[in-house]
Amino acid sequence: MAAHRRASGPPAEEMLRECARDVVAVAEGIREVSARTSSVLFAPALTGSARRRPRTGLAARWALLRTLTNKQGLGGSAIVAPDGVGHLLGAAGEALGRESLAALVAVTSLRLRIAAVLLDHPECGHDPGMRRLTGAVTAGHDPEAVRALRALFKDQGAQRSLSALAPILSELLTIQGLLDEDPLSDETAWALAAGPVRGFDASRLPVPDRGEGGAQAVELSAREAGSLATEGSFLGFLRNIDALAGDGRVLVQDVRGPDGVLRYVVQAPGAAPGRPRDGSPQDFAGAWRNLFLADSPYTRSILLAIRDHGIPRGADLALVGHGEGGIALLNLAQDDEFCRAYRVTHVVAVGAQVDDRRPADPRTWVAGITDRHDIVPVPEGPGAPHPNRYRVDYTGPTREFPLCHLLRVYIDHLETVVPEARADVDRALARYHGPVERTRVYRLRDRGRPPEGYPFLAVPTTSLATSAGPVDMPVRYYDSSAAHLCFPVDADVARSLLPDVAWLVPTRLGRRALAVLSLYEHRCTTIGPYTELGLSVLVDDLWRPHAYDLAADLLRRADLRRTGRYVVALAVATEEARAVAEEVWAQPAVRGSADIDLQGRELRLHAPELGVSVEGRPGPGARCPEADWVFYGRRGESVVRTLVRAHGRPRIHARPRLRLRVDGAHGPLARHLQVLELDTVRPGFVLSSPRFVAHRSAGAVLPR
Amino acid sequence: MVTESRPATATPELLAYVDDLRVDADRMDGYAQRLRGAAETLGHCAEAPEWSGATLERQATACVTAAVQLRAAAAALLSHATE
Repeated sequence: MAAHRRASGPPAEEMLRECARDVVAVAEGIREVSARTSSVLFAPALTGSARRRPRTGLAARWALLRTLTNKQGLGGSAIVAPDGVGHLLGAAGEALGRESLAALVAVTSLRLRIAAVLLDHPECGHDPGMRRLTGAVTAGHDPEAVRALRALFKDQGAQRSLSALAPILSELLTIQGLLDEDPLSDETAWALAAGPVRGFDASRLPVPDRGEGGAQAVELSAREAGSLATEGSFLGFLRNIDALAGDGRVLVQDVRGPDGVLRYVVQAPGAAPGRPRDGSPQDFAGAWRNLFLADSPYTRSILLAIRDHGIPRGADLALVGHGEGGIALLNLAQDDEFCRAYRVTHVVAVGAQVDDRRPADPRTWVAGITDRHDIVPVPEGPGAPHPNRYRVDYTGPTREFPLCHLLRVYIDHLETVVPEARADVDRALARYHGPVERTRVYRLRDRGRPPEGYPFLAVPTTSLATSAGPVDMPVRYYDSSAAHLCFPVDADVARSLLPDVAWLVPTRLGRRALAVLSLYEHRCTTIGPYTELGLSVLVDDLWRPHAYDLAADLLRRADLRRTGRYVVALAVATEEARAVAEEVWAQPAVRGSADIDLQGRELRLHAPELGVSVEGRPGPGARCPEADWVFYGRRGESVVRTLVRAHGRPRIHARPRLRLRVDGAHGPLARHLQVLELDTVRPGFVLSSPRFVAHRSAGAVLPR
Repeated sequence: MVTESRPATATPELLAYVDDLRVDADRMDGYAQRLRGAAETLGHCAEAPEWSGATLERQATACVTAAVQLRAAAAALLSHATE
């Protein structure tokens, strides 16, 4: 019946969004009522007259105070006052767990918005940020949800995963502002909720901008230089951006047009979900800040790159960007001074909305191309028609986010799904069709903050070719979780899983060997986010094994260790991770995705396509030293040794209550687990690390 | 709408506050209606979260309580202003 009724109305997700908008508007209204009532309570006129006529004056003030603090009404912390007694009373209400009605209603709006997003994009439910957020807003009753959200916003480690929640960023900022003690932040967040773009004072965003942009010319590798377009074209510019994406570089090309005039094309990438954000705003307020401010660090850095390039004043300039890069370039085109210095002829933003963005020069042609499935942070409502605006909002075949936001997917769609859009933009960019005479790449720096992962992940890197494209070594993991389930197993059975060479021998713990099933959730890495399930067997030193190698190795630095884990089976979620594991680390990897949650009290792994699941509690644990690992793999007649350095807060759990289930033989991993009969026993102990950073070096080939 | 006679000696600023409080009380009643409207809309939607109806109803009731208390505060303030 309900479904029938809905068939004639708007889709459920739209209805939820509509209700969420209405509810947040109500929350804003309630907050204003609280603010006005607070101002009456502390009004000097009332204070003065209450001193003169205390009997009725005190009664009036008591009635106002009761209105503001009644748990059944406006709530315990509804007193809104920037300082003094009022502020103290409001803070005391919060401390006593009596959240204001405005906060509770706003959280209801957020919950409705999350429900709408999950209805439209169920895959977002697997996103770590969404998981944490959903866990917080559904924690117990409404006040508990508000407190859990407040704790989440204060957790620095959660900022990255929250920043990926593009579809609900505006709501998150609203709630964050509301839960912040700073009344200025509060005002700003409410303004954002009411209308993020129009008439909004972005300089009062909740998180102050401390970043100073910077740009430095850098050399391209020979391979990168070879992959860049040598003729100007729309798709050529997008492919250039794709080649540079993810490591904070922008490209400026000098193109000789058909009329012989030299023109300039600035090409700016966006942030790739699940990859480190080098040189661009890294917190989730920062991501939004870029939407509003012409003076965001990203935009400033691009401006510095353009200045460094030596573009003459008055020269023609086309700006082409993807995602946040597109938004930053649009910000630049809105800057009066910039448009006086250069003639910005075109701005083309892919995967970024351009509605209501008015360039400083009215002659600038602005194009925006978006896939409807791409849930980029956009203001609501259609843009006004304009002869110099070009907008394509198409429905692509890739529904899954963040896949539908990737530039390479957009490029594919422009070739196959909306070729007319490509032709239209190319026609508009006709003056930029011609030979590229000069290409320079600039690395953008945010000097106001250290690089992501500093200092642990500030390591020299080199590029290696793989079948999935070039990969920087060492691979760096900026935000990962892991659980290592350690099983004592029969040494002969373990030996049967190793290659048939005499020097690969399982390390003995008494009469048993040790098999380790490692579960990883890598949320942000230089090869993109992925999950990893690996089965390995602890092996002795390849050359001179000793009985106490393992004990001695526990006292050694990782790079001096002789024992290691031979990886007998590995399943990773992405092709890039599979290529690196196979081709760089010589590990027998297959593709296979898994739904993993290792951050809660319960560990949970569900990998139906691999036939493996793990569920249960690791139990009480104790802090233990970092278990850096040495991995062994085998390629041809050689052993490949890979060093892993990790930094986190690992714990050892001696009495785990976890159960591994293997549902039929679904490939090498499940088969090996069955051979070792790990599904019939509980692990002897578990090492867990809910959050850590790590880097894995390129494999060293050993003559063994 | 209730109207009272106000002596000329009453403080104009306090009387303005009384009016503001009454207007806000009416607003709170309006918010309660809007929240109940949202709950009803979601009640017709099979995919709406189960908690939504009860939560919105609870918050609408809180709005009504706040409206009652705002009117009581307005009355107390009026009596102080006209004393």
